[in-house]
Formats: sequence, C-alpha cells, structure tokens
Amino acid sequence: MGEKIYVFKRFERFWHWSQALLIITMLVTGFEVHGSYTLVGFADAVDVHTIAAWTLVGLWTFAIFWHFTTGEWKQYIPTLQKVDAMAKYYAIGIFKNAPHPFKATQLKKHNPLQRLAYLWVLLMVGPMLWVSGWFYLFYDQWIVWGWDAYLSLEWVAFLHAAAAFMMLIFLIAHVYLTTAGHTPTAHIKAMITGWEEVD
Amino acid sequence: MKMRSILMVGSLVSVTLFPALAQADADWKRGRVYYRMVCTQCHTEKAGGAISPSVKSKAEWTAYFQADKHAKGKDAVKFYFSSKFRDSIKATNKAAAKFSDVPEADLAEDVKEFLQKGAKDGDAPARCS
Amino acid sequence: MAGTADHSKFEQLKKPFKSGPEVTKACLACHTEASTQVMHTSHWTWEYTNPANGQRLGKKTVLNNFCIATTPNLAFCTSCHAGYGWDSANFDFSKQDNVDCLVCHDTTGKYRKAPGKAGHPAYQDMEFPKGSGKMIKAVDLNVVAQKVGKSSRDNCGACHFSGGGGDGVKHGDMDSSLAAPEPHVDVHMDAAGLDFTCATCHKTSGHKVAGSRYAPMAMDKEKHIRGRADANPATCQSCHNSRPHKNARLNTHANKIACQTCHIPTVARGGVATKMSWDWSTAGKLSPEGKPITKKDAHGHVIYDSRKGDFVVGENIVPEYIWFNGQVKYTLLGDKVVKGEKPTQINRFEGSHTDGKSMIWPVKIFRGKQPYDPINQTLLVPHTAGDRGTGFWDNFDWSKALTAGMQATGAPYSGKYEFISTEMSWPITHMVAPKKDALTCAQCHQPQTGVGRLDKVEGIYMPGRRANPWLDLLGWLAAAATLMGVLIHGAIRIYVARKNPAAGHH
Repeated sequence: MGEKIYVFKRFERFWHWSQALLIITMLVTGFEVHGSYTLVGFADAVDVHTIAAWTLVGLWTFAIFWHFTTGEWKQYIPTLQKVDAMAKYYAIGIFKNAPHPFKATQLKKHNPLQRLAYLWVLLMVGPMLWVSGWFYLFYDQWIVWGWDAYLSLEWVAFLHAAAAFMMLIFLIAHVYLTTAGHTPTAHIKAMITGWEEVD
Repeated sequence: MKMRSILMVGSLVSVTLFPALAQADADWKRGRVYYRMVCTQCHTEKAGGAISPSVKSKAEWTAYFQADKHAKGKDAVKFYFSSKFRDSIKATNKAAAKFSDVPEADLAEDVKEFLQKGAKDGDAPARCS
Repeated sequence: MAGTADHSKFEQLKKPFKSGPEVTKACLACHTEASTQVMHTSHWTWEYTNPANGQRLGKKTVLNNFCIATTPNLAFCTSCHAGYGWDSANFDFSKQDNVDCLVCHDTTGKYRKAPGKAGHPAYQDMEFPKGSGKMIKAVDLNVVAQKVGKSSRDNCGACHFSGGGGDGVKHGDMDSSLAAPEPHVDVHMDAAGLDFTCATCHKTSGHKVAGSRYAPMAMDKEKHIRGRADANPATCQSCHNSRPHKNARLNTHANKIACQTCHIPTVARGGVATKMSWDWSTAGKLSPEGKPITKKDAHGHVIYDSRKGDFVVGENIVPEYIWFNGQVKYTLLGDKVVKGEKPTQINRFEGSHTDGKSMIWPVKIFRGKQPYDPINQTLLVPHTAGDRGTGFWDNFDWSKALTAGMQATGAPYSGKYEFISTEMSWPITHMVAPKKDALTCAQCHQPQTGVGRLDKVEGIYMPGRRANPWLDLLGWLAAAATLMGVLIHGAIRIYVARKNPAAGHH
C-alpha cells in the first residue's frame, strides 16, 4: 500500500457526483424526448429534463464561482507534456502493469490525457449542449424576441442531440477509465473519499 | 329566500288551481336535462340500465306519474323530484345542484312535458341519452 | 323567459293561422326589419361568394359526396331553408312572407318542417314515408306562434345536427347529443354547467350569424376579447385569447396548432354515429321481391340502404390533421374532373407550413364514390328525392335519375355515367372536451411511425417524432464502438492480469 494524498475537496466531490447524476438523468430523459425510446413518457421526460437542466445551471453557477475563487480552474489548462506517455500507458503499459506515468497531486489532479478529454468536453461538448439547450429551453420566447425567423428548432435539436451523443461517449470512456488507476477502484475511492492512493 | 317562498307558493297555487296552465308553461328542456342527468344517470349506474322516453306512449307516461309508483311501488316517483332527494345527490350531480332551487312541482311538470314529447307517440320520440 | 314581451298576450297572435307565411306576416307587423335582415343571410340565399377566389358557393351551388346537390331535389332539401315554398327555380326570394321565423324561434319543440314540403310544416296530418303508416302530425301554429323566443340549440340543431340527411351524418362534431350535452361531450354547452347556446359563440346581430365554414378563420392572432365589432366572435381566441395556457410551452404550441387539434380529441363523442364514407355505386340492390333493403351493423346503424348504397359509420372518430389557412377551394359542377388513382377532392383545404397563415387543424375527411360523367369529365347530380318518375330513391334507375338531375341543373350530360372516388373535408370545431380530456404530449410526440396524431403533418420539427436518421445511426454507432472499445480493453486487462497474477497486484 502506498501513501494517500487528499486530491478532491468536499465541494469538488459533491459537484462531481451531483453533476454525474444530473447528466445521466438528462441523457436518459433527453434521448426519450429525442424519440429513441419510451421510458417515463414524453411529458414527464420533458419535465424531468427541464428541471435537471435548471438544477445543473444552478450547480454550475456555484462551481464556476468555486473554481475561480480557489484557483482550481488551472487544473484544466491543457498540457501536451506526457500526453504521449499517457497514451502509451493506456495502449500498452496498463496491460503489463507498468507504473502509471502520472502522479496525482493536489495541484495536478488530472493526468494529461484527462486534461485534454475534459477540455474537449468543456470547450466543445459542453458549449454545444449549453448553447443549443438554452435555445431549446427558450423556444417559447423565439417568437416574442423575433428569433423565430433566424432559428430552426430542427437544427437546434440536431446540435443538442449530436452533443448529447458525444457526452454519452465521454461518459462511457470516463466510467471505464475510472478503473484504470493504480488499482481498479483507486480513482472511484478518491472521488468518494477525496483520498487517492498513490504508489 | 322570501322571493323563493313566494315563487313556491305561487307555483303551488298555479299547479293546484290551474293544472292546465302549469302544464303549458312547463319547460321541457329543463325536464330533458333533469331526466337525462338525474334519472338516466342513476338508472344507468344503479338500476341496471336506462329507460328511453320512447319506451312508453304518452298515455302510459301520464298513467305512470298518476300512479306515482317508482321501482314497482317501493317508493314514490314524486320523491325523485323533491328538494330532499336533490339535496342528497347534489354534491355529485351537477343537474341536481343546478336545479336545486326549482320547486318540486315545476320540475315534475318539466319532466312530464319532456316525456310527452319524447314518448313513442310523441312529437320527437327520444332515446335515453 | 327573460324577454320583455310575452307573445301569448299579443292580439295579433291570438287568431288561428292556416300557414307559415300567415304567421310570418303577423311577426313582421311588429318586427318590421326581420325579414329583410334574414334575406341578406346565407340561411335565406343559400349563396356565398368566396371573396378570395370569387367562387360562387352556398348550398344552392356546391356539390358534396352525401346527397350530392340540392337543385333537382329542392322540395326535400329546402325543409332546411329558412323559408317557405322553395321547390323550384321560380321561388320568389324577395317575398317577405316567405321567410320562416318559426323554425329558428320556436321554443315548444313542436314546430317541424315536413319532408318534401319545400320548407312548410305539416298543416294536416300526413303519412311519411308514404305507405309506412308513420304519421307526421299537423303543427298547431297558434301555440307555436305564441311561444316564440330566442333561438336555442334545438332550433339550430333541427337542421345543423342533421346535415347530410340524418343525425350526426355529416359533421361528426355536430349531432343531437349537443341539444343537452354532458360536460365530456361539450364543455361549453354542458347542460348542467356553462350551458352555452350555439349563439353564445355564433354571436348574432341583426340576424347575421357569426362564423361560417365557407370562410372559416383558421388563425386568430388577436389578443382581443369579445366585443370588438370588427373581430370574429366565434373563434376560441375571442374569449380565450391566443396565449390561454398557464404553461408557456403550451402557449407556444398555440402559435402553430389550432386549439381544436388538442381540445377536440375525437368527434362523435355523444353516442351518435357519424358517417365516414358513402359508396353510391352499390345503391339499388333490391330484395327478391323488388323491395328496397337496409342492412344494419351490430350497433343498429344502417350500413346499407338500397336508396343510397354502402356506408361506413363510426363513433369516437379520431380526426385527420392538416395545415389550413382558412381558404377552401371547391370542385363545382362543370369543373373538369380527371378520373385518376387519387380521389377527387370535392373541396380542398389550402394551407402550408410556410404561408404564415396556416395552423394545424383537425378535419373529418369524408370519403365516397359518386356518379361521374366520363365523356364530359364532370361530376354528376342525380335526382334523388321525390317521385316524379325519375327520383332514384323511388325508381332505382341511375340513368333516369341522372338525366333528370342534370336537366334540372342545366349542365350538360353525355348520357354515360361511372362512379368516381371523392373526398370532402369538414373542419372540426365543435364538441370541445374538458381540459382533462385534451390530447396528451405523447399522443403527438411519438417516435413510432403511424401512431402519433400529427404523424403525417409535414413542415414542423416535433421532438420525439422522426429524429434525423443519420444522426441517430452515427451517434449510436459511435457510442457502441466506444463501449466495445472499453470492453475489449478491459477484457485484455483482466486476461493479462489472470495470466500474470503477480503483476496484477501492487
């Protein structure tokens, strides 16, 4: 057993898990609204999706405030250092039980690939979802604001759904990669307790 | 309230003293609503089926009201136009509630008038609904 | 009852009347302008000119796929004319006494225009149909005249409930169940509730009745409430305005969807069946004894009548939905009709998602087969009712009926006839249900093809209906590939760890 370091603070863990819950809820209800299946019924799916969206807006307001006041936003600054090492680790090293090339610390909690992935989610998938989602949510007002002449609900819905697929793909990969820590459960434990085992 | 009792007395007088006049003034449309929404509804739900106005002739309906025997004599037909009866169902029956202030005799005349029209030899033979 | 005049006290009405026109004369002695007012309405003229395309319409002119046309059959059809004596083209439309006041103002329910009498009631007891033993009793005009009052649902219903020749036949959203309806049939007319009359919405002034299906108002974006003289008082919006819901998302729906679409979930809800189709081509089959026959379905509805052919009838009918801008174009007698694979549209409801004037409306589409002249390529008008030796309902001879019918119209007839499939649309606007019975979201927002109410309506994006197939294909493939990728990756890890257990533990 290696030493433990305190990686994720209380708010961060709360943010992570509540966000996870909201995103999964919105994926499940969102794809129902999209017409992929019938689960809770269209009307309830819309309501739950909308409530979850507003809750997420609230959560993010706090999170943004938190990131800036604590300086944690720096965790997402992209780096190309060791990206190749991480890729090599996931492709080869992990099978040979090679040492994890990245050591999480309180100052650097994400490995380089993680940073890129999160940055992609934050800069690409997120904005696509947020922007199209806002337009979708305020479809009621388009006509009032005179936007209905320039916007097409079909395209807004298309972009929203396309981004949702990307989010789904991220989610799958992300969930799997939580098992790719120093032990299969190390990352998950860290996100629950805040403490990560390191070698 | 005073107005109502005057009306009640007035209509009672007119029914007793001038039955023919009361008949002519009967409101068959109000009778139709009462028949459908009170009589028919209860018969459908509790008495095993509705009775169309057109199952009897005009004379048979007149005789039925004359005899005043509801459910083969178990109780009086008259009872089903009474304020007491209407008050007992008005929480769940909108028509009973709507006509809760109509004098009993008037309401009975209305329904009789409707049944005269809707009887099998009437001007417009009517079904139950 | 609430009026200021008791007509039974009027000396003018305390005399015996021999005919309807005599009553009218008595009415006009006081109501001096009434007949002139009526004469300017389509209840009298049976004429309407569509201001948008100049088409001359009205009952006098249009064809339908029920009893087809009035011209050769006037004496029967005009039992729904607000007048007396229109049995031929010679009818005097300017004679004041010919206006029928009683049909709209009787409150006794005893005044009835008799079949075949060109708008007159029975003045003597008469047997109808002939030889049936059924008697239509003479009306006591004196009693009726002394009991006149405001038009009620029964007055309007005497004709409008029976459009197409019988109770509920034509419209589907209008039948005798509306005379004293329960709330689930019509929330506004609910006899024990709001108890609206027809005229509550069809607000009438000087005998001019608001709201007409020849020129319906498909879209009412005014935020008015009733009372404005230049606004249509018969639209839903005139009372409810155009954003009536508490929920903003539902109000958005009202930008493109007519109120009727969600709030009239089905028609023929009051226990009266409506006709859905009528095939004239099978009419005329007689019993071995040469007598006309009728067939009934399990519910007792007539589904075959020798005089008329085969019918399909139904209750609780789900309407069809179309973009509609209020413009209706008719196929009139003499218009060239090419027999093709698709049914001929007797009237076409115009509209599209792009014209900015259309809303999605519910309609009843009535389908039929009716006589057609293959040489002149026109629809044909038969003489149906009335036995002058040619009426189809007595003689069962198409050739005679069509020759006589077309002669009456004055239009050419080649002498050859076939049957042609036709469709006619009827706007649905009555029988508004209580709000708990309105359509639910998923009845339209429905992924399954052919299930959603608006499945066939083009030009709108509806979440939940027909998502972009490429996006879905690519999206689910990519998600599946990712899932496969991580599963394989994980499987290899487990495999390697098993093979080399020492390395598996830190």
